[in-house]
Amino acid sequence: MDMQYANFPYLSTLLIVCIAGLFIILFLPAGEKIKIKWVSAIFSGITMVISVFLFVAYDKNVGGFQFVERVSWVPSLGIYYFNGADGFNLPMLLLTGIVFFTGVLSMWELETRVKEFFALYFLMVIGVFGLFMSLDLFFIFVWYDVSLFPMYLLIAVWGSTRKEYGAMKLTLYLLAGSALILPAILYLVNGSGLKTFDLVALMAPGTLTPFQQKFAFIFIYIGFGILAGVWPFHTWSPIGHVAAPTSVSMVHAGVLMKIGAFGVIRVGIFLCPEGWRYFAPLMAVLASIGIVYGAFVGLTQKDLKYVIGYSSVSHMGIVGLGLSTVTVEGLNGAVYQMFAHGIMTALFFSSVGYIYDKTHTKMIPELGGLSRVIPVAAFYFILAALTAIGVPGLASFWGELAVFIACFKVYPLLGVLSICGLVVTALFMLRVVQQTCYGPLKEHHARIQDVSFSLGIPRLILSVVIVFFGLFPSFMFDMIETASSSFFKGLP
Amino acid sequence: MINWALFNTEIYFLITAAGFLLLSLLPKANAQRDYITALALSAIGIGMAFAGINQQGDMFAQVYRIDLFSQVFKVLLSMGLFLIICVCSELKSIPERLHPEFYFLLTIATLAMMIMVSSVHLLTVYISLELSSYSLYILVYLRTEHKLSLAATLRYFIMGATASAVMLFGMAVLYSFIGSAYLIDIVKNLPGIIDRPIVVIGFFFTLAGFFFKLAVFPFHFWVPETYHGASNQVAAYIATASKVAAIALLIRIVALSSGHIEYSAKVLIYLSIISMTVGNLSAIVQKDLKKMLAYSSIAHAGYVLIGILSMNQAGYAGAVFYALALLILKFTCFFVIIKAATDGRNPTIPDLAGLHQRSPILALALLLALFGLAGIPPTVGFTGKLLVFSAAIQKGYFALVLIAMINVVISLYYYILVLKAAYLDEPDTRLPKLSTTMPVKILAIAMITAIVTAGLFPAHLIQIAETATAVFI
Repeated sequence: MDMQYANFPYLSTLLIVCIAGLFIILFLPAGEKIKIKWVSAIFSGITMVISVFLFVAYDKNVGGFQFVERVSWVPSLGIYYFNGADGFNLPMLLLTGIVFFTGVLSMWELETRVKEFFALYFLMVIGVFGLFMSLDLFFIFVWYDVSLFPMYLLIAVWGSTRKEYGAMKLTLYLLAGSALILPAILYLVNGSGLKTFDLVALMAPGTLTPFQQKFAFIFIYIGFGILAGVWPFHTWSPIGHVAAPTSVSMVHAGVLMKIGAFGVIRVGIFLCPEGWRYFAPLMAVLASIGIVYGAFVGLTQKDLKYVIGYSSVSHMGIVGLGLSTVTVEGLNGAVYQMFAHGIMTALFFSSVGYIYDKTHTKMIPELGGLSRVIPVAAFYFILAALTAIGVPGLASFWGELAVFIACFKVYPLLGVLSICGLVVTALFMLRVVQQTCYGPLKEHHARIQDVSFSLGIPRLILSVVIVFFGLFPSFMFDMIETASSSFFKGLP
Repeated sequence: MINWALFNTEIYFLITAAGFLLLSLLPKANAQRDYITALALSAIGIGMAFAGINQQGDMFAQVYRIDLFSQVFKVLLSMGLFLIICVCSELKSIPERLHPEFYFLLTIATLAMMIMVSSVHLLTVYISLELSSYSLYILVYLRTEHKLSLAATLRYFIMGATASAVMLFGMAVLYSFIGSAYLIDIVKNLPGIIDRPIVVIGFFFTLAGFFFKLAVFPFHFWVPETYHGASNQVAAYIATASKVAAIALLIRIVALSSGHIEYSAKVLIYLSIISMTVGNLSAIVQKDLKKMLAYSSIAHAGYVLIGILSMNQAGYAGAVFYALALLILKFTCFFVIIKAATDGRNPTIPDLAGLHQRSPILALALLLALFGLAGIPPTVGFTGKLLVFSAAIQKGYFALVLIAMINVVISLYYYILVLKAAYLDEPDTRLPKLSTTMPVKILAIAMITAIVTAGLFPAHLIQIAETATAVFI
């Protein structure tokens, strides 16, 4: 694969900005809450700008890995500090930048243990950025765990609704995933005989035998799949998302679940294409069960955040279905869906977070008629719901479309089944919108304040992104195409 | 002609010990004086150990070997001693007039372990092992609450005496078949006679003494009681320095058989799996913090064994690195325990409630140390695990690594429970802020830095570990 070394370490700058932000927060006194929030906003804003810049500056005509940085880290083990950007991870970096910044803004009204919250939040995002940009198996694993371990405290301290249980379950599940990934990574590194963790070197055809690829793939798929919410390993996800505070839900459902799917692509599919082909039918079955199951369970939920949690399981199923088709279109659709779902869920959790802050409830029967008192906040909520349904003109429509076109060619039956699941999703999303935003207004909610312009900025940004990529999907598809088509050409 | 310069570090520690013996003769007890003296002398000790790191040679009719391997471990041991003495500033659990004896025994135990890591003859191995054990028996007993410490000491002593009897028997068997007690002769002659069952039994019985020190199943029963009964500082010493020495000797002995005994690897695999599973499952239910750490030591003994039983250079180097990681991480845990339990008693997990308010820096140190013990990157604990696991994978022990990783997830559960107490739970009665003096803060920051930097930039340390273990291949 082509590689263009960077003349300036843009990718590392992204990490360094986050780390600098983290250290400044650590050295500010805990009482300076406003300063801490401003520092967080400024540094996360810079990362968003850098991620947008990288997305735009990537030369699509050349393709391959660009902005590459490569430094030997532990020579005796063959570990490299090796970063690069391609059509798969640039959408993810952009997603992370946007959700990171809007997440900070969504927590503007936080008052308890502000310093610790933002410090841990930054630490988590450092892991996420690092994972997306890394091309070295050792670092991929390190960043994976770095992004997970602040999670326990973030949920257990600042969360709600069975937070300690949710936090513990989430942490143990996700680290159980890493327990499968590490042996598989070591197995691949050792099996190649190359003594290197360099992903690009290991990718070369013929490095790994078909048996090794099949053997390792199943561990990598399940390990990362737990984080991607693959049925039946998804049970941590709704509980964890419900328990988490707003911005953590945003990053978690918006970005961290994508890490799972991204890990399957970067480590599983890149290194073990034979395993991918071999297990694709299994992936397809699990994904469609996830789509249908998530939709039906979502239908019965009374808690707004549970609704979103289960719809995430369903939507991540679409990503899995796209990956299981083993086609360029499927891969494109899956990555597009990852991006769109990330932005959409972030908008969803951000809106629900606002509603919860004002009404102190997220139970659907206790809400109603909100569009009359808080029309702007309700607008964002409805927009997120429409995106979840997959209305044309909004971002996630294109991802779903691409996935289903690919799916009907390969697995027509599962395609039909999954489309039915989508109809149910549409049904329960509309029901939720109808019961919360319309209908009779609850009296004690009559005086709540609508979202002000400044507090609404995070939702505004997310909405603009959704509409933009809904109207101009080719910006994203062209980008993904550079990576996916060249990846398929490289396959034996 | 003996080159005494090679023996500098050991002589220094011997003189230090003698100094404390003299201090104990002084009529007036003075805790402050003893503490400062011990701190200064052990700090110089690290310097002595570092100064001798590149020395090489044999002494005393080749029963004593000075090489990079032994010297690296001497540096680790002297650092262990220094760190333990650092946290002895408020030694409330030991009667004041016994403080010089306490330091004397600590120094002697360290000296014994230094001799142990240099031993290449069964007799030196045995003598140094006993010397360190006897010092530790008395150290465990030195506690104001005699009821606790007596039970702990008895248990420790009886188990220890049994283990060393078994070991002596194993050594005798090996000697009777080989006719020499030099490890180098054993290496040469073992392959020819290894298919005789009695030799295998002799070999494993010889290992028993180190299994006891390292707390490998089935020689682990003394650990929880001893940690519980010993004063916090002594428990910290047993958990750190003593384990480091045991790892060193285990590497030396197992390296004897590398490649020759097929089923020795198999037996070690089972012992490793049982140790980590038993340790982790028992740790889950512990309320007492020290007991929990004791069971986690048993689990860690299992992880270290993975590196040793791989019997390749990566595995030995991994085990050496793991020894360093254990030293740093276990010490940091005990450091927080000692500072949080200001009255010198045994803290329970709920006693840590509200630690993040009482002392944010100690809470952060505890957080990193626990994640390090659980093997989460970017800590030194993760690098240690990565090294031993990748060595095992090189040998094709995929299932073993998988089981170990599942154990890591189990262990995470009880480590998180401690974190929950420190970060989430509010104490029933408002406890005063912990007085974190400047030295405490510096030590805490130093440990945090050590945990993270050794995890992020391990290249140099790994190289040292690899060079040190190159002699075994």
